[in-house]
Amino acid sequence: MIRIYRALLVAQIQAASQYRVQSILWMLFAVIRPVIFLAAWVAVANAQGGQIGAYDVRDFAAYYVALSLVLNLATSWNAYEFEFEVRMGRLSPKLLRPLHPIHYAVVENIVWKLTTIVPLTIVLVFVSITFDARFRTTPAHLILFVPSVLLAAVLSFLTGWVLATMAFWTTRVHALSTFWDRAGFIFAGQIAPLALLPGPLQTISLALPFGYVLGVPAEILRGGVNVNTALLLMAGQVIWVVVFYIALQRVWRVGIKQYSAVGA
Amino acid sequence: MVRYFRLLRLFFRTELQYELEYRLNLLLEILQTAVVTATSVGAVLVLFTYTTVLNGWDLGAMLVLLGCFYLVQGFGELVLQPSFEKFMEHVRLGTLDFALLKPVSPQFLVTLRHFQVVQLAQMALGAIVVAVGLSRIPSVGTFEAVGFPIALVCGFALIYALLLALSTFAFWFVRVDNLMALYWSFMDAGRFPVDVYPGWLRVTLSSAVPIGVAVTVPAQVIAGRLDVAGLGLLVVGSVAAFFLASWFWRLGLRSYTGASA
Repeated sequence: MIRIYRALLVAQIQAASQYRVQSILWMLFAVIRPVIFLAAWVAVANAQGGQIGAYDVRDFAAYYVALSLVLNLATSWNAYEFEFEVRMGRLSPKLLRPLHPIHYAVVENIVWKLTTIVPLTIVLVFVSITFDARFRTTPAHLILFVPSVLLAAVLSFLTGWVLATMAFWTTRVHALSTFWDRAGFIFAGQIAPLALLPGPLQTISLALPFGYVLGVPAEILRGGVNVNTALLLMAGQVIWVVVFYIALQRVWRVGIKQYSAVGA
Repeated sequence: MVRYFRLLRLFFRTELQYELEYRLNLLLEILQTAVVTATSVGAVLVLFTYTTVLNGWDLGAMLVLLGCFYLVQGFGELVLQPSFEKFMEHVRLGTLDFALLKPVSPQFLVTLRHFQVVQLAQMALGAIVVAVGLSRIPSVGTFEAVGFPIALVCGFALIYALLLALSTFAFWFVRVDNLMALYWSFMDAGRFPVDVYPGWLRVTLSSAVPIGVAVTVPAQVIAGRLDVAGLGLLVVGSVAAFFLASWFWRLGLRSYTGASA
């Protein structure tokens, strides 16, 4: 398995290095939206004398810088590509190979993250200086951040695949992923840090998987929660990863029988 | 002029017929647009649970601004995005020849040829959000009522000029999809008034990619935050941008070599 992964990684890195400009531009998407909401929250905080709840202007900056990093490290976009492969019948050759198609997607995601991390970090340092971010991160937070962002990445990957698998039945899942993305827009911590979402929204965000993908690791990286709360939130991440892992196995097994390449 | 309007109507009708072939898909896409707009309004409402003004913009003015954002973005996606994508493909494949041979202005034929009819829904939703915002603004004078559509049309013209200028680079570099992607990612910044952004981003959004201006100024007019001089400046600027971009496009066209030439 390790040898297979090494071969896939090399091939994917070579493929990715052909599109360097593209990858930098796509990375900008991960930065621009957090910066937009950061600017808005700074304006709100300034209107209220510089402080909203437990956040001052510099805390907002740290939160959104962390969010932007997590957005890049944890999210994946398989649902869109998978729909295309099912619709065009391009999934069929992949199914014939002795390797589950999910591994190609895993490698693609890893390579994407590796290639964008350096330019992203440079941009984020620049944003941190512009907005004068203040991180309250301790070494303990940094240690917890690593597993937390990994869990978030796995969770986002699994939810993406469960959604994508719906294409076996409907062929088009674009609408479904849009609804899911917009729910994430509201609940995952993009429009506001989870702690500032109004009561019911905050409950939904932590009761469903959304908050665990972006908001939770971002708060841990910024040092916005203490260690005990962080561990509790990470337990939530683990639960959702397990739920979606089981769901994906079930759905895949039933769905693959349903699949007949379009036009076949 | 009349002929051009008739042509435009014809283009629109064919695209509409095409879209109506896939009715369920159309319905789903309208639903998606509605969800996107509703969640954006939700985001603004969340911000406003903590304050009553954002950089001098109250909730009513902010909703007008968000509505303008969807009007301008909807216009871009209704006709500009599909047309410019096809245009760049024509340059790459050399099929632009066919457009150049027809007895109409090639710029017209290339840039206003294709429609994504479903984006009318986005513009309609934008108009609704504007109306809701307006209902919270106590009084709208004559200048505001007349100035708003003028400013909005100027906003459309600015976006048109920007996309035209960007896509003109296709004549020299062929693949410029990345430049266009850059534009779409900056577009998102228009959802908040351009004055909330820090220095470098505000300068970018108001001069290099005038998305901030295209969205913010119409909303400023209706919120009574802009005088006649400001509106006049916008009109002059938009007209200048339009002619400058058109001139640049014609300049680029001279470098077009056609298929297998």
